Amino acid sequence: MSRINKNVILALLTLTSSAFLLFQLYYYKHYLSTKNGAGLSKSKGSRIGFDSTQWRAVKKFIMLTSSQNVPVFLIDPLILELINKNFEQVKNTSGGSTSECKFFCVPRDFTVFALQYHLWKNEEGWFQIAENMGFQCLRIESKDPRLDGIDSLSGTEIPLHYICRLATHAIHLVVFHERSGNYLWHGHLRLKRHIDRKFVPFRKLQFGRYPGAFDRPELQRVTVDGLEVLIPKDPMHFLEEIPHSRFIECRYKEARAFFQQYLDDNTVEAMAFRKSAKELLQLAAKTLNKLGVQFWLSSGTCLGWYRQCNIIPYSKDVDLGIFIQDYKPEIIVAFQDAGLPLKHKFGKVEDSLELSFQGKDDVKLDIFFFYEDTDHMWNGGTQAKTGKKFKYLFPRFTLCWTEFVDMKVHVPCETLEYIEANYGKTWKIPVKTWDWKRSPPNVQPNGVWPISEWDEVIQLY
Amino acid sequence: MDDWKPSPLIKPFGARKKRSWYLTWKYKLTNQRALRRFCQTGAVLFLLVTVIVNIKLILDTRRAISEANEDPEPEQDYDEALGHLEPPRRRGSGPRRVLDVEVYSSRSKVYVAVDGTTVLEDEAREQGRGIHVIVLNQATGHVMAKRVFDTYSPHEDEAMVLFLNMVAPGRVLICTVKDEGSFHLKDTAKALLRSLGSQAGPALGWRDTWAFVGRKGGPVLGEKHSKSPALSSWGDPVLLKTDVPLSSAEEAECHWTDTELNRRRRRFCSKVEGYGSVCSCKDPTPIEFSPDPLPDNKVLNVPVAVIAGNRPNYLYRMLRSLLSAQGVSPQMITVFIDGYYEEPMDVVALFGLRGIQHTPISIKNARVSQHYKASLTATFNLFPEAKFAVVLEEDLDIAVDFFSFLSQSIHLLEEDDSLYCISAWNDQGYEHTAEDPALLYRVETMPGLGWVLRKSLYKEELEPKWPTPEKLWDWDMWMRMPEQRRGRECIIPDVSRSYHFGIVGLNMNGYFHEAYFKKHKFNTVPGVQLRNVDSLKKEAYEVEIHRLLSEAEVLDHSRNPCEDSFLPDTEGHTYVAFIQMEKDDDFTTWTQLAKCLHIWDLDVRGNHRGLWRLFRKKNHFLVVGVPASPYSVKKPPSVTPIFLEPPPKEEGAPGAAEQT
Repeated sequence: MSRINKNVILALLTLTSSAFLLFQLYYYKHYLSTKNGAGLSKSKGSRIGFDSTQWRAVKKFIMLTSSQNVPVFLIDPLILELINKNFEQVKNTSGGSTSECKFFCVPRDFTVFALQYHLWKNEEGWFQIAENMGFQCLRIESKDPRLDGIDSLSGTEIPLHYICRLATHAIHLVVFHERSGNYLWHGHLRLKRHIDRKFVPFRKLQFGRYPGAFDRPELQRVTVDGLEVLIPKDPMHFLEEIPHSRFIECRYKEARAFFQQYLDDNTVEAMAFRKSAKELLQLAAKTLNKLGVQFWLSSGTCLGWYRQCNIIPYSKDVDLGIFIQDYKPEIIVAFQDAGLPLKHKFGKVEDSLELSFQGKDDVKLDIFFFYEDTDHMWNGGTQAKTGKKFKYLFPRFTLCWTEFVDMKVHVPCETLEYIEANYGKTWKIPVKTWDWKRSPPNVQPNGVWPISEWDEVIQLY
Repeated sequence: MDDWKPSPLIKPFGARKKRSWYLTWKYKLTNQRALRRFCQTGAVLFLLVTVIVNIKLILDTRRAISEANEDPEPEQDYDEALGHLEPPRRRGSGPRRVLDVEVYSSRSKVYVAVDGTTVLEDEAREQGRGIHVIVLNQATGHVMAKRVFDTYSPHEDEAMVLFLNMVAPGRVLICTVKDEGSFHLKDTAKALLRSLGSQAGPALGWRDTWAFVGRKGGPVLGEKHSKSPALSSWGDPVLLKTDVPLSSAEEAECHWTDTELNRRRRRFCSKVEGYGSVCSCKDPTPIEFSPDPLPDNKVLNVPVAVIAGNRPNYLYRMLRSLLSAQGVSPQMITVFIDGYYEEPMDVVALFGLRGIQHTPISIKNARVSQHYKASLTATFNLFPEAKFAVVLEEDLDIAVDFFSFLSQSIHLLEEDDSLYCISAWNDQGYEHTAEDPALLYRVETMPGLGWVLRKSLYKEELEPKWPTPEKLWDWDMWMRMPEQRRGRECIIPDVSRSYHFGIVGLNMNGYFHEAYFKKHKFNTVPGVQLRNVDSLKKEAYEVEIHRLLSEAEVLDHSRNPCEDSFLPDTEGHTYVAFIQMEKDDDFTTWTQLAKCLHIWDLDVRGNHRGLWRLFRKKNHFLVVGVPASPYSVKKPPSVTPIFLEPPPKEEGAPGAAEQT
């Protein structure tokens, strides 16, 4: 009896064992195909770092967004940088499996995603579902800046930021809103009084310190550490935008107050000028952007933006500033090709360069080149008749984005200082007669061009 | 255990040779029993471990998979979780469970105060005549609805019956009469008042004063009444003071299943009354419609601006029809409310839409005009990518194929510069003059009432010179002015895709609406395929008109065009009549003809180069103004154009109305 039993047991065990082995093989294959690369590579232990809290939080967040159709893409600077460096690897992993968590397991406090608000169809209830999945979420809302420019509208508040915490890691979801001028805007992360300041280390957030503006990025789908995410098609371009993305809103309230005091000029001529100035500005912006030359609104155009959020109808020209290190000789040709012939050229690249182009309807485009000194910046002026040189001094400034006549353009961030330097403390009062050689408080005589150079530094067309 | 003999089970499988090999091997081993045993246990152990490891692995992978799949139903979890989280909100005993209500009724003044707060006060002269009705929430005491029914005038009692029937049972009803409220208070209304338990209401007489507080479905909480002593005098003022016990919140609310939609519904229904079955406990009417999507919807991403004032019931009706239209995308809709009114905002929130309030800055028509400007600017700011915007008003019903109609025609606006707008409304499309839902026209007038605006037109032309507030202009009259329209035309359908149900508007009175809007034809057929849309382009349309005129049968011009027999009793024919029109702006005969055809005659609408197109008795009927119209060339020399004399000016016609 016992003999038979023993044999039977042995046979049975062998049978079950091989059956299990087959089953295991089958199961493993099945598992791999469902997880598509995210599965276990061999058995346990060979996957490095995949149990990190960062990876798990990101994974859960991606599951949430894909199941709820939340249109997000990855904008985390740290991870985008890593992806950018190892781009080939990210591309190749889409089919196979990863054995090492290289990107999402990097220690950090936040992972940053952007939400494309205009593509979001089911906003409702999403927040609750996130909380139900174990996230602790914070929503920062504010009024819609797109309604600010319009007299006395008050709408539903729009979400600006979501911060969702899972264990020790947090997902920072920056809400990107579409703005007129074909760009994406995100708001300032301002904490309301009742919000727990220790919820996450807010100081370490990379977005939200200021409002920001970005070009609308094209997106691509990649698999990073076994997780499928959307990232900007050109991660490098996006990364370069981040440090210079600060956006300032036009001061609509002050502009309204200004118009209450000085009534808007709605004559046919004023409207015609505004229209052609706007078109000229748009054409100039297009031309310079194509060349990759950074520019900002200067002088009267900047004053118009700051004081009345519009083009000053009696200013008769459009003024732009460009740093001299961004000067390219192609600028002149490009403008000529765009239908804006050179009207005059004063100075030279080394000193006091200034270009003027002739736009349609007698509107002129002035481009001033700015030079840097240790404690200030300046641009030059030249009197054609006498060859006299002038120097206009400005306190040092950086550039910010803003929206002006349906365009995303740069202005000096320190706008008030810039305008006060140029127009004095009384810039709020409209002045129709302005002498470029005498009126600005920041003008300094700067000697005379030597006659021998006149041919080069005073070119009139 | 002593001998290791071939097992009978294995025996039959072994081949003869194999067996001998096996046996030798076996006998060799018999001498090393210890080793053999060791091997045996080793094998058993190994097999056991394999089995256990396998089972564990299977369990592990299964857990990993289920973890990955745990999210398909988070919504359900969420609902469950919330079910636990939401305890009865205002359970039991607040310090005060009784409301102290005062109701005053007299000839020239009515007021209602709840707990010392005046919720209604009306002592304006020549206004607010009739029965004022206030509905309070029985749990909170909040005012949920405030209405006045001028039951001195006809039909107002019907509106009151409609309203009172919609109020949910258990609500606190307060009625008070100002001036006169009995003259047109008919039996149905009186019976309803009786069913509420009122004694004096059903017996209300000429110029009686009356104050009533009761719960819908009983009991009466207080009533006072004073009879008018004579025809020429009023009843004495009455002041009713009564206590209204509050009930618990659970009783005041319905027990709908807890979903996102029902949470919106609950928020809405605990605040306002008078919206009928949307707040019904048993079988509430849906607030989400999910109409069929449109295949190849060209207007899916076109923003829709709904311009509204403080007529929340209209807005409610309008949004229902809009959200039921095929191809609607709710996230593209924005409702712009002219003023800080709460109730329209509540209606917007009920449907989960975006609402924006606009502070009034100007008066009357100019205010409407400024509201339009702010709304249009905001729409293009909120949707910077949009090339068009659909503009709707709160007093329109939207046809089920509204978006399908636009989707099929919107490319015209892109391709044809000579177009000003596409409108869903045919000014001349009455029940008896419109027939073909697949037919489109080009007209020189701008009908409005549901239309599409091109962004470039707004941004480049209209916005910069929009009339400023101090110019008291109507926006639509301004848009129709030649300086703005510049000879461009609008596309309209023969059968309107919107229906103007508004009565209590800024520009209209009831009689006017009855005469000019009620009998308007409104398309109810879904998915109408528009015919030959590209023939609406400038040049193609001329070809089309010439073709139509060539095949049209000329009517007998000796007959009276106002009579039905002017057109033969046929179907599907095309007829043409020629009327006198000396110059481009000579509409004398047309206006008379429009009047007797009972179509729009207050100004000239629906014309295209001196040609009007409509239907009569299911026949296409063309009217050409001779000699001003270029189509006059089609007139046979023998025909004398019809001339109709305008009547002498003394009629008391309702010409007060300005326009739509």
